[in-house]
Amino acid sequence: MDPSPTAGPLDGVRVLDVTDALAAYGGRLLADLGADVIRVESPSGRGRCAYGPYWLAAGIRPTSLFERFVNAGKRSVTLDLAAPEAEGLVTDLLASADVVLESSTLVLTDAGWADERVAAVNQALIRVQVTPFGLQFDDPGDSTVDDLILLGAGGLLHLGGYPDFGPVAVYGQQSTYMTSIFTAVATLAGLIGRIRTGESLTADVSAQECVAQALEESVVRYAMTGEVRAPQGDVAKEAGTGVYRCADGYVSMVAGRLGTAAAWSALVELIIESEPELVTELSDERWSQFEYRQRPEAIEAFREVFERFTATRTRQQLYQAAQARGIALSPVNDLAAVLDDAQLLSRGFFVEVDDPELGRTVTYPGLPYRMSATPLAGPRPAPRPGADNVDVYVKEAGLTVDEIEYLVARGAV
Amino acid sequence: MTGGLALRGLRVLDFAWIGAGALVTKALAELGAEVIRIESRARPDNLRRSPPFRPGATGLDASGYFASRNPGKKSVALNMKHPKAREIALTMARQSDVFTSNFRTGVLERWGLTYADVSEANPKIVYLAMPMQGQDGPHRDYVGFGSTIAALAGLVHTTAVPGRPPIGTGTHYPDHVPNPGHALVAVLAAIYHQQRTGEGQFVELSQLESTVNVVGHGVVHSSLGGKIEPTGNRMPGSAPRGVYQCADDQWLAIACQTEAHWRALVSVLGAEAWLDDERFDRPLVRKQYADELDELLRASLAPRSRAKVLAALHAAGVPAGSVNSSKDMLEDPHLQARDFWQSVDHAVIGDLPMFHLPFRADAEPRPTLSPPPLLGEHTREVATGLLELSDEQYEALVDEGVFH
Repeated sequence: MDPSPTAGPLDGVRVLDVTDALAAYGGRLLADLGADVIRVESPSGRGRCAYGPYWLAAGIRPTSLFERFVNAGKRSVTLDLAAPEAEGLVTDLLASADVVLESSTLVLTDAGWADERVAAVNQALIRVQVTPFGLQFDDPGDSTVDDLILLGAGGLLHLGGYPDFGPVAVYGQQSTYMTSIFTAVATLAGLIGRIRTGESLTADVSAQECVAQALEESVVRYAMTGEVRAPQGDVAKEAGTGVYRCADGYVSMVAGRLGTAAAWSALVELIIESEPELVTELSDERWSQFEYRQRPEAIEAFREVFERFTATRTRQQLYQAAQARGIALSPVNDLAAVLDDAQLLSRGFFVEVDDPELGRTVTYPGLPYRMSATPLAGPRPAPRPGADNVDVYVKEAGLTVDEIEYLVARGAV
Repeated sequence: MTGGLALRGLRVLDFAWIGAGALVTKALAELGAEVIRIESRARPDNLRRSPPFRPGATGLDASGYFASRNPGKKSVALNMKHPKAREIALTMARQSDVFTSNFRTGVLERWGLTYADVSEANPKIVYLAMPMQGQDGPHRDYVGFGSTIAALAGLVHTTAVPGRPPIGTGTHYPDHVPNPGHALVAVLAAIYHQQRTGEGQFVELSQLESTVNVVGHGVVHSSLGGKIEPTGNRMPGSAPRGVYQCADDQWLAIACQTEAHWRALVSVLGAEAWLDDERFDRPLVRKQYADELDELLRASLAPRSRAKVLAALHAAGVPAGSVNSSKDMLEDPHLQARDFWQSVDHAVIGDLPMFHLPFRADAEPRPTLSPPPLLGEHTREVATGLLELSDEQYEALVDEGVFH
């Protein structure tokens, strides 16, 4: 089927999405790229992507905003995959699909559809199977897919935190974003492989390995020097790099590391020009040497001086002043400040989306990328569960309304 | 052809450097593409000067940091400041399927290698740019690093123990997964389109915009008036949830999501008295006394062997796991069973562990990653091969400082 000229690059690709919170954002990325992503939800019970934050308001049931974000742009059908009555519909869905995404366990196998049975329906299906530690360690009875545990297993948790407190997990269910991004990568590799060779990939994605992509140089450092990296916390590695207090919060800066030596001089100039009484503290010769700036006494002395300078300036004032001189300083933004960022607003980055579950308009970030030949529609509303039952089952699979009613009455849809 | 080598036969002309860009092309190499890095002694990749080094090692080929981002690639030394370099780059672009860079805006313009230039030479090319904040807008020339992008995007403010300064991940996290990951998704989608239609295109990823997407649910919440403040390791609905030190400086994580988990935890620790403690016996009250409970958990876990505690917790069905250090990661039994780490024999550094993409394809062995290249290691090979220069022509260009 020739792709439509104004559609995304995955126009014409159908994805069955039986993921949970661990990999649902992967389906979202494919939907953003123009694929027809159909979430298959249980007819009863809470959806599998329900993580906080929850929106509680009069007139609507508690709604997971995480679920709304990661399911944007998808369609949704309800189906009990294990119900005998559902066999026909499952067969139709599998036959019509190009890709099936599953997490955090083998959802189809658990429902009685083993890999061989699925392959018999559709040889060309690309399978992406996502589990916490990989298929050979899959334990369907184990519901312990907690972000804290996965960040720990993947090594990122150990790199963060405060030296006197211990490891602290990064905000925002990052194990799910990391795992989902590589779920989409595996899917796309499968789609490219299939058109180039005719063969269809089955990918065994490990969430632990997805997190382990984020370990910076810590593993080669251990292998080469025996040093086991420990968290810095809020103590900087050298003067000029770190998080510093200011009038209305904090700023983050990197000035003086390799490649930013010029930024260190610019920073000293900025401070001295603005607060001449600080000139004696930083103008000594030894400050120009990177080795000196890495010493604990220099780190502390710099912090003391710099925070006198920043105490009377806001995040935004420091941001403009530093960047005007080529210094890599950013405000430590809370999320409200992100929504207010001048660059993002100028780019038209934020998108108003009318959400059917919330019954109101919500602001989404725009997509992470832009593509010149296959323009992307941007985030679209996440579906209400089962909203597409009629379209998918009646209009596309050809069931009659009576047949659907029968299946609903039996709890299969 | 094995299922995991979807890009075999495709060629990437790679101007990506330092962190975020290099991880994109590392993945493309692992998926089977021939990746040709263009670099120069005139302005070496900063990562080649970054530690770790083996004690006493110096030079541009000794960095473990550089090595970790660059297995599987070839290196051609081409000095883009030399007037003859541009035509050489365009000749390579004509025979490439993908062009990648993460330079800040202005560099490729100076070299005459913008999308307009490159696509004129090769209309089917997929061209990736990864500017810090986008090619346009009032902050398009602003400079940053992974840590400062994380701060701008809201990841640092929201990662802290309440009452303490914000800290983020302690790494340049956006450079490692959100940005190379999203870029890889977009490039692969563009390659899919190219393979279907023969049409190339320009893919732009603003590193800030890409990073904001991994706090997307928080942005949605904030737009509804929610105030998102850091909670340390705690989350609504789980009590206790935290990270605790065991013997020998080994840490573990526990996240009790149900009352059954809580009772099982108490039983494993032999702390039945806690069940009768009115601070802990009901979940909503337990949350209020989370600090006190954490103190008791620390005291209980501190002398214990992590391996033994985890075995007991897993057997009892308590969600728990090891907080793996870099040493633990190399020794992890799951990763070893799946051949996640691959040893390469680097010409200068010696044996080094490289990491694979996080999936196995068709239950087959992982693709073999070639060692990270020395600077210019493949210049002669590419010059006399792909560029069809004679040995004499190649050597003349070396003498002129073009291949440098």
